[in-house]
Amino acid sequence: MRSLEFTSLLLFSAIFRVILIIYGEWQDAHMEVNYTDVDYLVFSDAASLMASGDSPYKRTTYRYSPLLAFLLIPNSLIHRSWGKFIFSASDLLVGYFIHFILQQRKVPKKLSNYCVMTWLFNPFTFTIGTRGNCEPVVCAMILWIIICLMKGNVLQSAFWYGLIVHFRIYPIIYAIPMVLILDPDFFPSDQKPILKNWTAAQAERLHDGNYLYTLHNLFKCIFTRNRLIFGLVSAVVFFLFTGLSYYLYGWEFLHEALLYHLTRTDPRHNFSIYFYHIYLHYGYDISVMEKLISFLPQFMVQLVLIFYFAKDLPFCLFAQTVAFVAFNKVITAQYFVWFFCLLPLILPWSKMKLKWNGMLCILSWIGAQIHWLMWGYLLEFKGKNVFFELWVASLVFHAANVNVLTMVIRHHRFSSFFLGLKDAKSKNVAKHE
Amino acid sequence: MPPLCSTSPTVHPGRQVLQICVVIQFLRRTWRQFIGLCIYLLVCSFIWSPVVDSASSNFNSGNDRTVHPIKKFVMQSYFDRHRELHDLVFDNFVSQEVNVGLFQVLPENHDFVPRLSVLKRNLIGEGSHRHVSTLLKFQSQQSQSSSQLLSSSCDLIVIERLPTGVFADPFELQRLVQRGVFNDVDVFGDTNLELPSFLSKRSAVEIHLAVDPNKLLEPTDINIELPLHARYQPLNESGYSTVELGMPDILVRCSTMEKSENQNCFFKVTNNDADVQYGADVIWRIPSGKKAHSDLVFAITFSAALLSTLVIVLSSLEYSKTRRVGNDSKQS
Repeated sequence: MRSLEFTSLLLFSAIFRVILIIYGEWQDAHMEVNYTDVDYLVFSDAASLMASGDSPYKRTTYRYSPLLAFLLIPNSLIHRSWGKFIFSASDLLVGYFIHFILQQRKVPKKLSNYCVMTWLFNPFTFTIGTRGNCEPVVCAMILWIIICLMKGNVLQSAFWYGLIVHFRIYPIIYAIPMVLILDPDFFPSDQKPILKNWTAAQAERLHDGNYLYTLHNLFKCIFTRNRLIFGLVSAVVFFLFTGLSYYLYGWEFLHEALLYHLTRTDPRHNFSIYFYHIYLHYGYDISVMEKLISFLPQFMVQLVLIFYFAKDLPFCLFAQTVAFVAFNKVITAQYFVWFFCLLPLILPWSKMKLKWNGMLCILSWIGAQIHWLMWGYLLEFKGKNVFFELWVASLVFHAANVNVLTMVIRHHRFSSFFLGLKDAKSKNVAKHE
Repeated sequence: MPPLCSTSPTVHPGRQVLQICVVIQFLRRTWRQFIGLCIYLLVCSFIWSPVVDSASSNFNSGNDRTVHPIKKFVMQSYFDRHRELHDLVFDNFVSQEVNVGLFQVLPENHDFVPRLSVLKRNLIGEGSHRHVSTLLKFQSQQSQSSSQLLSSSCDLIVIERLPTGVFADPFELQRLVQRGVFNDVDVFGDTNLELPSFLSKRSAVEIHLAVDPNKLLEPTDINIELPLHARYQPLNESGYSTVELGMPDILVRCSTMEKSENQNCFFKVTNNDADVQYGADVIWRIPSGKKAHSDLVFAITFSAALLSTLVIVLSSLEYSKTRRVGNDSKQS
């Protein structure tokens, strides 16, 4: 009956998304304001250019891998909503992967279903897929990489990791924790790793100097077989796809799909705290010192989070993604999906109750966003000069993000993703006794 | 025949039927929750779609038509010869085009000169997205060339030369063509829609409207609304930049089938004795950043970033300490 509940959740979500896609087509045809995201039109145009043998980069503002245009070629052959169906299907696949991961870690079914619902019924996620944004595909790939690691398929996880970094640059931040988790203690040679299951217990027994142990281990055997395979295969896959795209589309591809994302400074207003500073200094040369100062907070936060949480892989990835988005030079609403897909994986290990800490986190985050949107509306649709107030609103939103992250850290029950050899052996011994 | 979903233990329907029965019974029990969930989700999707849209919207567009039919657009001919839009150069170009085309179709002493009696310009809307509306009223006049005109098909060509401060979205304009508002439309010049105005060059919009040549000799009203968007402006102490929209160039192009050849000719619509009315707000005030904020914004932005970094680092540190302390107290 319980597994039927998840199946019916999935079915219901699928039907709902189909209805939304159909509604979106209706709204596009009959109303001034489009339901479909502008980016979807960009992808479709690039795909039809590719279908006719042209370069997809002839379409201005197409800044993705040619793989995305390739995926959307049936848009011009079958129906223009093909892409939306693909993205919504990935959306549902993410829900299924979350359910699978939680079941593998023996999370109680009721708790697991609630967690899956935070993805399937999250308004951000179902609108993102049905409006034609490609982020659900990225989320599905990331979760699949986690599943491959869980099953011990290092080769497969490396392949998908190389592919996803080619597709969307940001998963490069996950490189270090993924290499760290391939600790020989967790992945003994020719044996599958053992997952640490969910328990209702309060805290995990940990060895002293847990982190230094990992770091020490890292320096001692950074060149273990698994780590080498992961590093080499993902690098080869990344360069293979990048090289192929460069061969087909030349400098345009490199510039639009890769370099643009690495050097992007958009002065137009967005959630980031840096937007007003970028606008005020746009066109002027940026000193090396300034570049360093803007890069340093992001760099430090990522390193610290990896150092403390790498063993608890899903939590580490979640915390890193929240921090990455919060400290980024440009923040748009679609980036939130990057950590929404990882949130259900950490919720079973959170001590935070919905009343009232959880509600406070959600409401403060949403409230800060609405506050920003209000000033953004005044600027863009009423033509009032509220740049200063909008920038203050972005500071408030940044504070809300940091607040949510620190609250989640404080209420987290650290749980190592895998069981180390010693722990596994002692468990077996305890079982036999 | 036993009822399909009977719960009597003596009835044994097939396995698939049993599963369907279970689903139906489950749905019967939970339909109310499902309806509630439906309503919640529909409401959320209405609330959240503008949130997602306004935060991630950008003026994505591009001029993807790289090959235009020859001479279809006047501006295409201009940009074939010149790299940038300059007013004087453009004025010369237009008079050249008009003079060259004029003598092909009509006799030298033709008297067809469309004249406007009223030309009203207005800027409608608020904020960064507005419409510039142009109301044309033609003068009634007699023309000896009218019989020749009757056999022509004419296009009213309106050329808006835009200052660098604003731009038109080619894809939005194409949607208007699809809806039949214009016959054809295209944007020329600088079509990069993301750069601020001080890094952009000028662009021009050419609109084609099919028009009956007879209407040009009668008092007819033609109203054209063009959607425009504001670029990011250079910094200004007052906090606002003003952008002024000039007068459009209005041409009429008639083509006739003469000796099985398509011949075009252009007429420039004059408004010398027209009652030209500018709406008070063809001057567009666009918000721009204030240089005075520079230092304060720099200082506070980077302080905030460093402060939040410190907060996260300290939280992680404290968390690891409490885990160790908790463990020590457990083990003792």
